[in-house]
This record gives sequence, C-alpha cells and structure tokens, in this order.
Amino acid sequence: MNTELPNPSRVLVIDDEEAIHKLIEVRLRPEGITVTAELDGVHGIARAISESPDLILLDVGLPNLDGFQVCRKLKEHPATRNIPIIFLTGETTMEAKVRGLDMGAVDYVTKPFEQTELRARVRAGLRTKRLQDLLERKSFLDGLTGLWNRPYLDQRLVSELNLSQRYARPLGLLMVDIDHFKLVNDTYGHLFGDIVLQGVAEELRGYARRSDLVARYGGEEFGLLLTDTPLSSGVYVAERLRASVEARQFEVRGKSVAVTASFGLACTENIIGEITPQSLIDAADRALFASKDAGRNCVHMCKGDELTRVMESDLPSSDE
Amino acid sequence: MDPIRSAFQDDPDMIELVSEFVSAFPERVAALEECLAQGDLPQIQVLAHQLKGAGGGYGYPQITEAAAALEMVVKEGADSSLVKEKFEFLRETLGAVVVPEVA
Repeated sequence: MNTELPNPSRVLVIDDEEAIHKLIEVRLRPEGITVTAELDGVHGIARAISESPDLILLDVGLPNLDGFQVCRKLKEHPATRNIPIIFLTGETTMEAKVRGLDMGAVDYVTKPFEQTELRARVRAGLRTKRLQDLLERKSFLDGLTGLWNRPYLDQRLVSELNLSQRYARPLGLLMVDIDHFKLVNDTYGHLFGDIVLQGVAEELRGYARRSDLVARYGGEEFGLLLTDTPLSSGVYVAERLRASVEARQFEVRGKSVAVTASFGLACTENIIGEITPQSLIDAADRALFASKDAGRNCVHMCKGDELTRVMESDLPSSDE
Repeated sequence: MDPIRSAFQDDPDMIELVSEFVSAFPERVAALEECLAQGDLPQIQVLAHQLKGAGGGYGYPQITEAAAALEMVVKEGADSSLVKEKFEFLRETLGAVVVPEVA
C-alpha cells in the first residue's frame, strides 16, 4: 500500500500580512511544499474546506475572526478536523501558546521566525499528518490479508447503494466463503490457515476488476462490491475468481494442497422489495448457501426468489 | 543611523522578495502617518504588529524591534508623544534600510 503523501505537500497560510505569505512560500519551497494563502479567517476556512491542505499555518492576530476562533471552527468541521494547525504568533506569552495547543493546534512558531525552525516545525507537522492518514487507512484494512475490512465494506456499501440508486446503475455484491476451512486449519494448523487466507485474498484481488472493492468480511468469508455490474456480467467475475482460487496451489509439509471457495452473487436490479444494504447482503448470502448446499466450489446467483447455479459451460466465452 | 542591510541580501532565493518588501516601505509609512493623524490607535497597533512579524523574517531584526516598541506603547495606552517618538524611530529605521540590488 502506498503510504507516501501526495507530493508535493500542500500548506495553507492564513495571515493578514502578505509579506508573510511570500516569505513562507520561499522558505518552504526547498522542502518541495506548495503554499497557498489567505488574508483572513473566513476565506482561510473556505479554502481549507475546498482544498484540504496537509497543514495549516494560522496567524493568531487576524482581523475579525481571530486565530483561536478560526482554529475552533476548523476543528469543528468534519472536512478540516484532521488537518494539523501550527499557530504563527507574535505573542510569546506562555498563556497564548498553551491556549493554542489546548485548542488542538499541534505546534506554534513565533514571529519573526527562523527559516530552519519554521521548516523543522512544518516537517514535524506533516509527519503527524502522514501518520494520522495512515492510521485512518489502517483502521479500514484487514491486518492479515491487506484487504479492506468489514467496517469499510459496510460503509462503502451504503454510499455505493446511494449512488447506484441515484444514477440507476446496478450494484453487485459477491460473497465468497472458503470451503472446509475449519478442516484445513485442523489438518495443517492455523499458520497454514493464515497462508490460505492470504493466498485466496491475493487471487481475489488479482482477478477482480480495478473498480471492484475486495474486503475480508470476517473469518474465511470475503465480500466484493461490484459497481455498475448487473448479474449478467457479475457471473463472469465470480466464475473467474472461483477458477483462480481452485487453481492456486499451497505448499505444506512437502506437498501441494488446493482449496476451493463457494460464491454467492446478488444485484440491486434483482432484489424483491426495498433495496437496503441488508437486503443485498441477505440475497448474496442466500446464493452463497445455495452454493454450499450444491456441493461447494461453485457460483450461485440470486434473481428475485430464484437461486440459480452458474455453470462455467453456460457462460459464452468472453474476452474480458 | 547606520545603513541597515538584510541578513539575507546574499541569499538568491530571498533577494527578490526582500527587495519587494523594502520597496513597499513608503506605503507602510504613509499608512502609519495617516493613522497617526487620525488618532486611529488600533490600526497603528495592527500595522506595527505586521511589521514586527515580517521584519525579522526578511532579515531585518532592527525593524522587528522598532515595530515591537511602537506596538507596545500603543497597547499600553501610552501618551501620544511617546507613540509619536516610537513611530519616528520606526520610520528612521525603515529609512536606513539599503535597497538590495536584484542581480
């Protein structure tokens, strides 16, 4: 996963003195940082919301809204809440510094500033931002497989459903469950079980389309969100993934072992009644259980009340 | 007063910026004079505060010092003769700055 900041980093300066804008821009340029600037808090907040910079340098002594008020508003707004703020202050009193830090600023720089100090503090602020972003992403990743996790899938399912309904585009959901996983664990141990989970995850990620969201749903179950995908094309994705999982060989104790998985496919176009995250998941689950009942290592789709097995031979050959 | 040169006058990254900063001094002085004439002390404090913050950054710690002194007397509500005195000193300081030559 890419953990680097988009380069170059972007810093927003909110200061009522234009000479300070230019000074900061020149001083931060060697760091590969681009600077945008506003002269007052209202415009500064608007720009912070629209551009979401990586860091904000905020003057305390602003006209109208002062720096502390601007800071509070930035910390209240969901779009700017996590942007680190460094106060620029002419004040050197302890109270002013403490007040700024207590309001959620990460640091302060006293004006006039030494360029090396300014750069070092900005670097430190950007580091904080990078770690924060990483942490946020990590909280949505499954540690073992590197796939998205269930909370993330659930969250995206809600937003993708909204989009699919607004633009009348089909949204597919594919549930995948590794067959006899408990037996694999019991036979070869949990370490090998982990390797199998990672391997299957790799197949799903590798053979899914770029636009598909692949998540570990829990245990040995995976979920794929297929945007803009009716059943007729979702079955190709499902069948391709099924075949790729089946074909993968795992080495254990000097021999080759293969696992299989069962697949259940549903689509918003083929749901009876209200389309909700739960009704879509239920439909995909029913199709998955049908695959399990039919002997595993196969794909079923849910079409209204009907659960149909997808046979590889039924699919017209595709160049996809 | 001795001529004042920017600590960054040999810094190629800064020279143009410093020159621009210095060339705007007359406008800053004029703005201060006008406020002084109108007795607009809050605005004097703002202008002095800005110069205090910028001066050192452009390599002129003397400007920061002089502007800080003006800001301070206004803030403390000193009488107008003292404000005038500090303003005059700031003006003199700004006047002593040698305009850096852009290569």
